[in-house]
Amino acid sequence: MSKTLMRFTGVGGQGVLLAGEIFAAAKIKTGGHGLKTATYTSQVRGGPTVVDIQLDDKEIYYPYANDGEIGFMLSVAQKSYDLFKDGVQKGGTIVIDPNLIKPTEQDRKDWKIFEIPIITIAKEEVGNVITQSVVALAIANTMMKAIDKKTLVDTMLSKVPAKVHDVNIVAYDLGEKYANEAVA
Amino acid sequence: MATREIISTGNELAALAGVDAGCTFFGGYPLTPSSEVMHEISDLLPKVGGTCIQMEDEIGAICAVIGAGMAGARTMTGTSGPGMSLKAENLGLAQMAEVPLVCVNVMRGGPSTGLPTRVSQGDILQSKNPSHGDYKSITLCAGTLAECYTETVRAFNIADRFMQPVIVLLDETIGHMHGKADLPTVEEVKAGIVPRKRFDGPAEEYFPYECGPTEPAVLNPMFEGYRYHFTGLHHDKNGFPTEEIETCRKLIQRLEDKVAMHEDELESYEEFMMDDAEVMIIAYGSVSLAAKESIRHLRDEGIKAGLFRPITIWPSPAKKIKEYTDKIKKVLVVELNIGQYHSEVERASSRLDIDGLFKVNGRPISPYEIVNKVKEL
Repeated sequence: MSKTLMRFTGVGGQGVLLAGEIFAAAKIKTGGHGLKTATYTSQVRGGPTVVDIQLDDKEIYYPYANDGEIGFMLSVAQKSYDLFKDGVQKGGTIVIDPNLIKPTEQDRKDWKIFEIPIITIAKEEVGNVITQSVVALAIANTMMKAIDKKTLVDTMLSKVPAKVHDVNIVAYDLGEKYANEAVA
Repeated sequence: MATREIISTGNELAALAGVDAGCTFFGGYPLTPSSEVMHEISDLLPKVGGTCIQMEDEIGAICAVIGAGMAGARTMTGTSGPGMSLKAENLGLAQMAEVPLVCVNVMRGGPSTGLPTRVSQGDILQSKNPSHGDYKSITLCAGTLAECYTETVRAFNIADRFMQPVIVLLDETIGHMHGKADLPTVEEVKAGIVPRKRFDGPAEEYFPYECGPTEPAVLNPMFEGYRYHFTGLHHDKNGFPTEEIETCRKLIQRLEDKVAMHEDELESYEEFMMDDAEVMIIAYGSVSLAAKESIRHLRDEGIKAGLFRPITIWPSPAKKIKEYTDKIKKVLVVELNIGQYHSEVERASSRLDIDGLFKVNGRPISPYEIVNKVKEL
């Protein structure tokens, strides 16, 4: 793998930043380069938020993903989806939570859109809505094969408190399962 | 040089640098997009016996820092453009009374409240002259994650050397980007600390402002038996107000000359693929990252572009700029304002045909925008 560009979008307060930090740290752990940049609005909760993740074997200079080059986007809010979808290259992969986002017919022609109820999985199957960022992390990694699973999970566990390790492992496994089913 | 790898953000690295460089006091008022500087240092300082105070406002913050500096501490504050505007008067006081401090300014869109969460480099000229009057500001600008750390460390040593505020400019992008930084070890940073000068003679012979015409004042920490008067008024060798003509002239001339006559100690820049460059891009801070990326693309297409990146922004590396602009015809200044450093490049180069690529909508300049602009030159 040389270069992977991913974008996570949502609204402020959903915790989309954490997945980006985990990806970048895991890539660095493997000896590569990883960079996470986020942009958000002055509306701290509820404003559209975008996190760009770049993973590369060579040094990364420009910290943002160039529009039109992003291979994967995951979105959990309609307004963020609408604002940032055009950064994804044609034919690229977009994962949406179908309870929160309604893509247009044209969108379905332009991109490979997968519908996975990320928030519901976190809330009802894992039992903790905060784990949605780990569900999202697992979906992104399963679809993009960006990082070796063990490295990514170990990095994730190093960034969450020990008492929630088990629940986050459950969240990761569920995300992986749903992603595999979606692409099957 | 031994290094250690840290995965962090620019803001957090600036805070860590402060602590490693011996800062024991931080007075601040959290302001987007600089807040994490204060969040981080409020965690770190108490662990090493230091103090972090959230003051009532930006003015209180700079005043607290000046007070701690008078007591002999290495001090730091963090803010963004609107906070710099509020701190301006007291940055002038620190210039006049010669109190060292480090002020990290993480730039956002302006003027006024502007675009709080967006990136800008609109504070370049403000950092040259934050307050009224004559003095020579020292401003460093980080262009990589690692430099958020190393330039902050350097700022502390410069502040103590020149006995005045040193501004470290970050911008929203570099302050918030999260990635790897290769840093010098703590031992190396500690070994490099050069504390401010002290007067060790008898107290009655201590005159803090009696110094050579190009040298800074020697301010011993307060409360250690060495007394002096502290004021923003023109003052004599004891610090007492005076209107004596020659004393007043010499004082202000010295504030200028203590920096102007030692610019070689401050000069710092990066040359990136400049050896054979036929197009010179001048950029600093996060924009230089886009510029480096654009140079990769331009070189792939056979266009010999290079980057000149000032790290010490003020005083500017004017001689080096002139050297390059004398031999390279195509010069493009790229910045997130409407030409604030462009005018300095025009001045340094004595040329009026310097091109510019500017943006002021809170969004970054992409490498492709630079590529396209260079092709138009």
